[in-house]
Amino acid sequence: MQWFVILKKEILENWRNFKWVWVPIVFIIFAVMDPLTTYYLPKIMDAVGGVPEGSIIDIPMPGAVEAMMMSFGELSLLGVLITVVIAMGVISGEMKSGVYELIMSKPVKYSNYITAKFASVVLLILLSLILALITGWYYVLILFGDIAFTALLTSIAFYGCYFLLIIGIVLMVNTWVQSPGVVAFLSIIFIIALNALTSIYGHIFTWSPALLSDYIQVYLASGELVSEIWYSALVALLFTYLCLQFAILTLKNRAV
Amino acid sequence: MALLDANHLTKTYKNVNAIQDVSFSLEHGKCVALLGPNGSGKTTTLRMLAGFIKPTSGDIAFDQDSLTKDFRNFVGYLPQFPVFHNWMTGKEFLIYVGQLAKLSKDEAIKRADELLELVNLKEVRKLKISKYSGGMKQRLGIAQALIHAPKLIILDEPASALDPIGRREVLNLMRELKKDATILFSTHILNDAEEVSDEILLLNEGHIIEQGSMHELESVQNTVTLKLAFSEEPKFIEDRLKEIESVFKVNQIDKDYLLTVHDLQTARKQLLEVVYQENWQLTKFEVAKTSLEDLFMKAVKK
Repeated sequence: MQWFVILKKEILENWRNFKWVWVPIVFIIFAVMDPLTTYYLPKIMDAVGGVPEGSIIDIPMPGAVEAMMMSFGELSLLGVLITVVIAMGVISGEMKSGVYELIMSKPVKYSNYITAKFASVVLLILLSLILALITGWYYVLILFGDIAFTALLTSIAFYGCYFLLIIGIVLMVNTWVQSPGVVAFLSIIFIIALNALTSIYGHIFTWSPALLSDYIQVYLASGELVSEIWYSALVALLFTYLCLQFAILTLKNRAV
Repeated sequence: MALLDANHLTKTYKNVNAIQDVSFSLEHGKCVALLGPNGSGKTTTLRMLAGFIKPTSGDIAFDQDSLTKDFRNFVGYLPQFPVFHNWMTGKEFLIYVGQLAKLSKDEAIKRADELLELVNLKEVRKLKISKYSGGMKQRLGIAQALIHAPKLIILDEPASALDPIGRREVLNLMRELKKDATILFSTHILNDAEEVSDEILLLNEGHIIEQGSMHELESVQNTVTLKLAFSEEPKFIEDRLKEIESVFKVNQIDKDYLLTVHDLQTARKQLLEVVYQENWQLTKFEVAKTSLEDLFMKAVKK
């Protein structure tokens, strides 16, 4: 099937340029960085010295949930950035180089093309996210305290929806301009706008996908899935779908 | 019935007509050259037939009831500057596009092997495309256009950017392909068109100004150019040349005299008689080939 052919080619390409290796590693580093440094900071300061004699430094140890949220926090920032960088050229790069013309001279369906590209990025990013958060969770477990593994998996499932939306946005922007750099720039503007609007009008946009990590924190702390987390996830999925539809429409109406 | 009928195609970009009222039909098994200077609308026409751009007005009909269907199923297209996934090998790329064109994996592999053999890339099939030379890429481009055995092969300037050897290879290949497919290719090199095509469409500023076989085109022009040169310039030569009845125009470029004549047979006879009588020291007597420029000048002026 054509869709699988494109997906397989994307997976192979990501393999040959080592994305399957470095993206998970980078994500794992992001996820463990904060919990580890927070835990070892007092010991590091002791070892390095330089603190005046007699001064008492009291750094409160965060709880398990707070430590886990540090992992999520880093990924929300740097993980999103890496995702944008990975996805910025998947279509615009092919248009810019001119391969797109050759590919589209074959009877390739635009919907297959877009959704297969989407799937390939989603596979890579979700796998990296899962590996990273499980590693982060492992360190939280041994350094800070207990979080149930099932709770972690539930959190990852909701958190993944946010990343689907990010990838959807970048793919949509991919069909507008032919320069990967401009795609990254416009996508980041979109994501910043989404987050800014959410933090200003958070009380109105309680269903905003940008609030997903806040709701995850509530869930990890209380064990309760508030109804807003469902709405946010649904809205994220809906917007992702709309982004993809819009991208397909743009490609269809665009002269190759 | 013709394989393809293009009816009154017009494409307008911001009030500028890239092509205007272009109509032609392609017969099965013919090799047709689309000839014209840069910017005459060749690429626009070809991309339209390949389904990339929609005409502003007019329509294209394949002999299948295919107005509704996707053109791309029947058409193989080679862009002017083909670009590939350079991280793939030549064979991988062919299999990939073969599968995109709805061949099964086994069919695609089999077809890729055949085509690599045909375009003489068998030795480098396992090499990354980034290592290919310009000529190899052009041949790979032709192979990918053929992968789904299209009824119509569209080649945009297949030989123009190549060195003489590469050009020769591509022209030989096209002669091979002519045997079982319809080919439409664009070029601005008259010799290429002359060599492989059965028919010519002459395009200028978005209009078709002539169409027909090469032979027809030349006879339509109705005149031939002769080139003469002498070791020492005879006196009154221009006047004397103009007196010959079959010569109707004399031009001088450097030491060459260019004579425009109507009928080659009589003109040659009369000219040589004069040369003999006057005892002119003739060093060059050449029947100049109709160059693209001449053809154009004549066609445009008409």
